[in-house]
Amino acid sequence: MRFPRWMVLLLTLTLFAAACGGDDDDDDTVAGSASEDGGTEEPAEPAEQNENTGSVNVLSAAEPEEADAYNAIFDELINDGADYTAEVESSGSFEEQLQIRAEGGTLDVAAVPQPGGVIDLAEAGSIVALEDLGFDIEELNATFGESFVALGEHNGKHYGIPSNINLKSMVWYPKDDFDAAGYTVPTTWDELIALSDQIVADGGTPWCVGFESGGATGWPATDWMEDIMLRTAGGDVYDQWVNHEIPFNDPAVKTAAERFGEIMFTEGYVLGGAEATPDIAFADAPLPMFDDPPKCWLHRQASFINASFPEDSEAGVDYDWFPLPPIDQEGTLFAGELTVVGTAGNRPEVVDFLKKFIGEEVQCEMGGVQASSRISPNVNVGPECYANEILAAASEVLTTALKEGTGRFDASDLMPTEVGAGSFWTGMVDYLKGGPESLDGVLEDIESSWPA
Amino acid sequence: MSLAALPQPELEETRAPSADVVGVKRGGWFVRLTILAVVILWLIPAAGVLITSFRAEGDVDATGWWTAFAHPTSWTLENYRAVLDAGGFENALLNSLAVAVPATVMPVAVAAFAAYAFSWMDFRGRHVLFVVVVGLMVVPLQMALIPILRLFVDLDMQGTFLGVWLAHSAFGLSLATYLLRNYIGSLPSSIIESAKIDGADHFTIFWRLVVPLSVPALAAFAIFQFLWVWNDLLVAYVFLGGTRETRVVTIALANLVGGRGEDWHLLTSAAFVTMALPLVVFFSLQRYFVRGLTAGSVKG
Amino acid sequence: MSTTATTRPGAALLLRAAALVAGVVAVVLGFQWVFDFLRDGEANRIVIVLVAIGVGVCGVFALFWAMDRVVSWLPERGAESVRPYVYIGPALVLLAVFLLYPVFNTVLASLKDGRGQEWVGLDNYEFVFTDESMLRSIRNTAAWIVVVPLVAVTVGLVFATLADRLRRGEALAKSLIFLPMAISFVGAAVTWRLIYSYRPAGFGSNIGLLNGIMIGLGRDPVPWLSERPWNNLLLIVIMIWMQTGFAMVVLSAAIKAIPGEIIEAARIDGANELQVFRRITIPSIRPTIAVVTTYMVINALKVFDIVFVMGNAESNETEVIAERMIRWFFISNHDGRGAAIAVVLFLAVIPVMVWNIRRFREQEAMR
Repeated sequence: MRFPRWMVLLLTLTLFAAACGGDDDDDDTVAGSASEDGGTEEPAEPAEQNENTGSVNVLSAAEPEEADAYNAIFDELINDGADYTAEVESSGSFEEQLQIRAEGGTLDVAAVPQPGGVIDLAEAGSIVALEDLGFDIEELNATFGESFVALGEHNGKHYGIPSNINLKSMVWYPKDDFDAAGYTVPTTWDELIALSDQIVADGGTPWCVGFESGGATGWPATDWMEDIMLRTAGGDVYDQWVNHEIPFNDPAVKTAAERFGEIMFTEGYVLGGAEATPDIAFADAPLPMFDDPPKCWLHRQASFINASFPEDSEAGVDYDWFPLPPIDQEGTLFAGELTVVGTAGNRPEVVDFLKKFIGEEVQCEMGGVQASSRISPNVNVGPECYANEILAAASEVLTTALKEGTGRFDASDLMPTEVGAGSFWTGMVDYLKGGPESLDGVLEDIESSWPA
Repeated sequence: MSLAALPQPELEETRAPSADVVGVKRGGWFVRLTILAVVILWLIPAAGVLITSFRAEGDVDATGWWTAFAHPTSWTLENYRAVLDAGGFENALLNSLAVAVPATVMPVAVAAFAAYAFSWMDFRGRHVLFVVVVGLMVVPLQMALIPILRLFVDLDMQGTFLGVWLAHSAFGLSLATYLLRNYIGSLPSSIIESAKIDGADHFTIFWRLVVPLSVPALAAFAIFQFLWVWNDLLVAYVFLGGTRETRVVTIALANLVGGRGEDWHLLTSAAFVTMALPLVVFFSLQRYFVRGLTAGSVKG
Repeated sequence: MSTTATTRPGAALLLRAAALVAGVVAVVLGFQWVFDFLRDGEANRIVIVLVAIGVGVCGVFALFWAMDRVVSWLPERGAESVRPYVYIGPALVLLAVFLLYPVFNTVLASLKDGRGQEWVGLDNYEFVFTDESMLRSIRNTAAWIVVVPLVAVTVGLVFATLADRLRRGEALAKSLIFLPMAISFVGAAVTWRLIYSYRPAGFGSNIGLLNGIMIGLGRDPVPWLSERPWNNLLLIVIMIWMQTGFAMVVLSAAIKAIPGEIIEAARIDGANELQVFRRITIPSIRPTIAVVTTYMVINALKVFDIVFVMGNAESNETEVIAERMIRWFFISNHDGRGAAIAVVLFLAVIPVMVWNIRRFREQEAMR
């Protein structure tokens, strides 16, 4: 039978449209195409490994507003005058997309929050070593502190550039009500417990805690554990714990967990009780602090929780923070991102972008973004860069810790993902719901899940 | 061989609801009550979302949506404004369209031909092949993403519309073939036989006879596939991309909502915005299959 | 045309071959050109959309038509034995590339370690059948694949039958039941998280429907999503809500196709509605019921997002096989285990397929 006439018509029209409507541009842009304000034509000359495609795509787990703010900064400071356009892509399913793109071979640049994940990618051969891209490790060590850069080391080469850092050992409190009630900021653990008792005696509930986070429920509890571990066992034992040189059910770990339980399980300490904490969204947890009168007075959480506070609350007035007090030792817990380059990103413009990105100018500008709770790991970026005085104060603490090597990275982000993003999280939830008696079983379970 | 020689199917009118046929009332109160109860039950979740999307943030947080009826004045369009103002939707909408239409037509067409062959053509291995085709329905598409991505990168098809169309077509093909084969295979063999006797070749039988008779099934599947592709996030994200240029509507909306687990006022209005086009498509095309045309009672 | 009879067939064949080659070249070039246009980031987006639609719609038809033409040029007996393969060809190619090839990939990966580098034989499978969380997921999945098809098909069937009797409003009623299928997964997740929402005392009032009912009855609110074992049932309800519309629509079309005379004859003979339903309706649409049930079972086997998004599946003990697969493969980056779980999923579908083969054989024997 004959080809239907209407289809012939449609096909012809289509071909005409394609002919008239399009540019005769033959260059393909791989996913991450030119920006809307007219990216410039790509020069065809080859350089290094791959050709300059005119765009750099940065995959990130940041919130969309943050990403938009950074893109504005990039447009101003990096893209303007460069022969490429760099764009941050904020992804809601970051880990999944990261792995798909890395293994699929379409990853340019990604900001990875877990150094353990960076090592995994390096092992799988999905990312490119910094040395191979032309970076000077000594220079990076001087800029970010050797301990941080070393987290991305695998088989003698380095794979991640520090791009974000946040302070974890912070306790937030509603300053105005706190002062009015006559409470004082504790400087030791015993004082912290005494303060909690006093609040209970006054008829209030001291602690607001929330661990729910969708599929990642339990991670804030691991932060508590790590902070306490640093303060009871010290930095060296902490490192042994991370590297599995001591088992997870070692007495040192158990002691830390019991201290954790001291706060969680003491009657009247936690709003809603310990069993309810895995059901409370972590971003909602501090909100009762802002009620009048405050429904709770203390909230231990990292610097990025700042972004979840009510919009009309003022730093230093309505709320403030103090460092989590030492127990037997002092310690600073932090976490952050390492930026990696995928096999598709081995291109001159990517390297150029990264060098500018980690420089003081861009990093300082990024600190000024209100929507962001980002602190720069670049030790040369001073507190004056931050729009938020809380972040400025935190950045000083971090810079000192990085320079002196006294801080420790979040353990669960360093451990193998089966544990750090798996059994450690669920173990904590089980502990909270099961109570103090369940501790031994929980620690054993986590220990047995550690990959051989 | 002219078309007039082909047996023309005489299409009955839609088979009338049983209530009219015999004098006895069939659509009685029992039927109506049951239907009403089920419909209400089904709508409650969506109603909750709809109502919440019209309430102010403070209200949403303070009281359950069922109390909204007591305070009709506190309803607002603010949430929708916030969602739509965030921008970047026009591009995403066009991308979604460019992906969804071909990704619907392709699998329907390919599956129709295949279903016809499985039903009315005789060849070796037809049962085994068919079962394999259907069995592939179980393959979780997440397993296919990385191997296919690597393949696309090698063929330089990454980020192209063609790539997404082919991917969506393939993922929907098993169900399409299964459904269409069931339908086409149940057409009265007498029609096919008499057409063959009159000398029609397979292509003509397919195009002039089987396809018109299968319109309800084709339309039904086309709507399922369209809805699925339109609402899809993962396949478009992986094969087309997530940047402002290339993303589809679902990605734009998921991005908007971000990590805001508890911003119900925004989540609900965003959810309804995503639903808007599929609902329009659905309601305008539902007569093609919800009522059901007759093929089964064709005479001749 | 004064060529002699003997040279004409040869010339015609040559002409045809030339036309074929020219045609193929033209088509390939044409498509290349069109696809380059579609990839062009600079071109007007609306034009791109229209071109995309035009090509997508015409392309497939053109392909089949062309292939069918070419087959017709072959000698008759050869043509008829080749033709079926031409019709199923594109489908098979697409499926082979996009689904079958990944299946082989997955099977191979399941025999390797977590990074896909060394062979570890059946270690991953041993894990699948001994790990506590995996065993739980297998149990839970078994519940899903029984409850979801049972309820969805039953409700869909009853609803379709009853709706058939309505004098008015049939289309509306059906559309409303079908509505959840039009809602994207994100929309459905938002919807049900709102219903199951829980806030402990001090964190605000409860805005979730279920807890609203609990409070109305004078009881305490419950954290539904972590309340074992009910949370499994609550998640299953979500899938039922979403899928029943599909079952209902397909079954409804099948019911409409039952010839009216048979039903009337039965009624005249004095059968009541229930008897008509059991003795006539169900047997007539048995193939369709089987198709819908099969689809529901496979879908329930594959369920992942519903469980994944609603909290930590392991703590809540709501794991299902596909969710475990995604978690091992993408979150914990253990390719070997993720792949092994996927293979178990493939194998689990075999009984369903076997049943289907038997059905087809019976059906064709009756034809």
